[in-house]
Amino acid sequence: MAIDVRHNQSDAFKDMMANTSQQDAPPRFSITRILLSNEFGLLVLIVLFATIFATISPAFLSKFSLYALGRTAAVNIMIGFSMMVVIITGGLNLSVGAIGVSAAMFSGLLMESFGMPWPLAVAGGLAVGAALGAINGIIIVRTGLHSFIITLATMSIFFGIMIFLTHAESYRGISPVFTGFGRMKLFSIISPLLLVTIVVALGLSVLFRFTALGREFLATGANERAAELSGIRVQRMITYCHMLSGVLAGVAGLMLVSRTGAAIPSMAGQLGQDWLLPAFLGPVLGGTLLTGGRVSVLGTLLGSFLVTMLTTGLLLMQVGAFWVQTYLGLLLLFAVLVDLVRRSYLQRRKLI
Amino acid sequence: MSTRFWESDWFGPFVITLAAIIVVGTLNPSFLSPFNIQVLLLAISVNALIAFSQMIIIAIGQMNLSVGAIGGLAAISFAGMMQVWGMPWPVAAGVALGIGLLAGLANGVLVAFTGISAFVITLASLSIYKGVNLGITEAQPFYEIPDIVKSLGNDTFIHPLPWLVIPCVLAAIGLWYLLNRLPLGRSILAVGGNEHASELSGISVRLVVIVAHAISGGLAALAGIMLVGRLQLGQPTIGDDWLILSFAAPVIGGAILSGGHVSVGGTLLGVIIVAIFTQVLVLFNIDPFLVQVVLGGLILWAVGVNRWREVRAQRRAGQVQI
Repeated sequence: MAIDVRHNQSDAFKDMMANTSQQDAPPRFSITRILLSNEFGLLVLIVLFATIFATISPAFLSKFSLYALGRTAAVNIMIGFSMMVVIITGGLNLSVGAIGVSAAMFSGLLMESFGMPWPLAVAGGLAVGAALGAINGIIIVRTGLHSFIITLATMSIFFGIMIFLTHAESYRGISPVFTGFGRMKLFSIISPLLLVTIVVALGLSVLFRFTALGREFLATGANERAAELSGIRVQRMITYCHMLSGVLAGVAGLMLVSRTGAAIPSMAGQLGQDWLLPAFLGPVLGGTLLTGGRVSVLGTLLGSFLVTMLTTGLLLMQVGAFWVQTYLGLLLLFAVLVDLVRRSYLQRRKLI
Repeated sequence: MSTRFWESDWFGPFVITLAAIIVVGTLNPSFLSPFNIQVLLLAISVNALIAFSQMIIIAIGQMNLSVGAIGGLAAISFAGMMQVWGMPWPVAAGVALGIGLLAGLANGVLVAFTGISAFVITLASLSIYKGVNLGITEAQPFYEIPDIVKSLGNDTFIHPLPWLVIPCVLAAIGLWYLLNRLPLGRSILAVGGNEHASELSGISVRLVVIVAHAISGGLAALAGIMLVGRLQLGQPTIGDDWLILSFAAPVIGGAILSGGHVSVGGTLLGVIIVAIFTQVLVLFNIDPFLVQVVLGGLILWAVGVNRWREVRAQRRAGQVQI
């Protein structure tokens, strides 16, 4: 019997070794791996659809169209990042829209009613974003309940308080410098908002790839218990992620203010629900696991960009503005199904 | 199962409902006028179906974000078929109900056969159904609703009981019977309690998930159809604000979001509490914008209480003594 056990153990060990050696030495498959990666797939889709749109409607490649595309994508990518940083902990944040609008409205209030210079007002708005995110995080870790139900409730609460305080009225006295920023054109096609998004993307990449804090976020998402046992303050990490999510939602809200020249309570729809689909589309298309622990900043960026491009292209082709939402839903469904097939293929070939 | 009655799910909400009725009725006698009761019952009847639609999915431990989108699609189909094709209303209602069942069925099939989380699937289908709704209506309401539908949606059959109470009560009794007396209902709760164990004990988890989603779609569609009668027009925005309510009522009624534990009576009381609180804001001239804050607060409070009860029950069962 003892021999049996040893035999089994050595078998298991061999299996383990076989697995690790396969994992350690995949350079033979590396091209297949890159070709099957999410990021590459998204890039192919972006090029493919850009070609299709440009062929059907040459206006797609006009300077103004490209400028508008970049500007809209900048906001959508930021909304995607805001959800992404919570998804990596294995949670969700349904209140991104409500937080984004609240932060934007607070900045509008500071600029219009208190006449504050715009950098201070922006800082104030982001502080509100961080504070609301912190409230989410603290309630979640204190109660031990799933972030879905907590952020569903706070989405209603944050939005309700914002509407109550502002009486559902917009702030239009936005500093001209700030709104000029959202309408500026660099080299006649690039929006400065897109540059802000790219800088944030680089920052997030550095955070998750090179800093201890970023790795601790990922570890918390991958296996909370294991992270806790290896000395990570799991609860604090979850709260930080929600704060970061709040700040990024605030950035997205402020970008919209800068673009439209006013802080409007309805800019994310009823309760901020209109942000939910773009918020999930980016990270899900980009290969961020909903169970947490894995993140792809580049994937989210490309995913959100693809979604924005498809929306713009469909509108340009005049397929009927009202049907766009249906196509986005089908795209999300299609993306998760393709991901499922891709993942099972990689698993069968033992590439993961 | 043998819990004392004051420990059951419905007892807490019941006390709150009773206390709220007494307090509000004393402070403002018009609250208990027959007309006001009729108005309250109209709101409660529709909202109860919305809550049941989510409750049956909470029972299997999932969530359905597309409840409002299905309800809205059924509502505009019902109104549109009557206005554009001149269909008699019972046929139109039947077809709209069928559309709701199919929409729910599609959700269920996708969740059951792909293994992708219900959250993502129903987020996608929310967008698809809402997009179809907007594509058909181009955001314009259907106005030509037959008088009989308008009357059924607002009038009473015995003063002050409106006609809309009937489908609501039937759905409540049907769901109670399903969840407490029928093997299918027990399977639904078993899958919510422990999916793996249910599979091993011979329950077809896929079938149960599909059936639960189909029921959810049907109930949401029924709510949408009833709302067309009550609002007297086929609004494309029907369903846009159902999400928070659909979770609030079951949770107030003691539902555990991880599944396996829901209460039909508790959910109904949850709907009544929400309706009373909403009306209080109007009766006492408090800003109606605060409704959202109250709803969110109720959810937080209810999940907190449910959590506390869960922990206490575990402690009593000795599971926490490690």
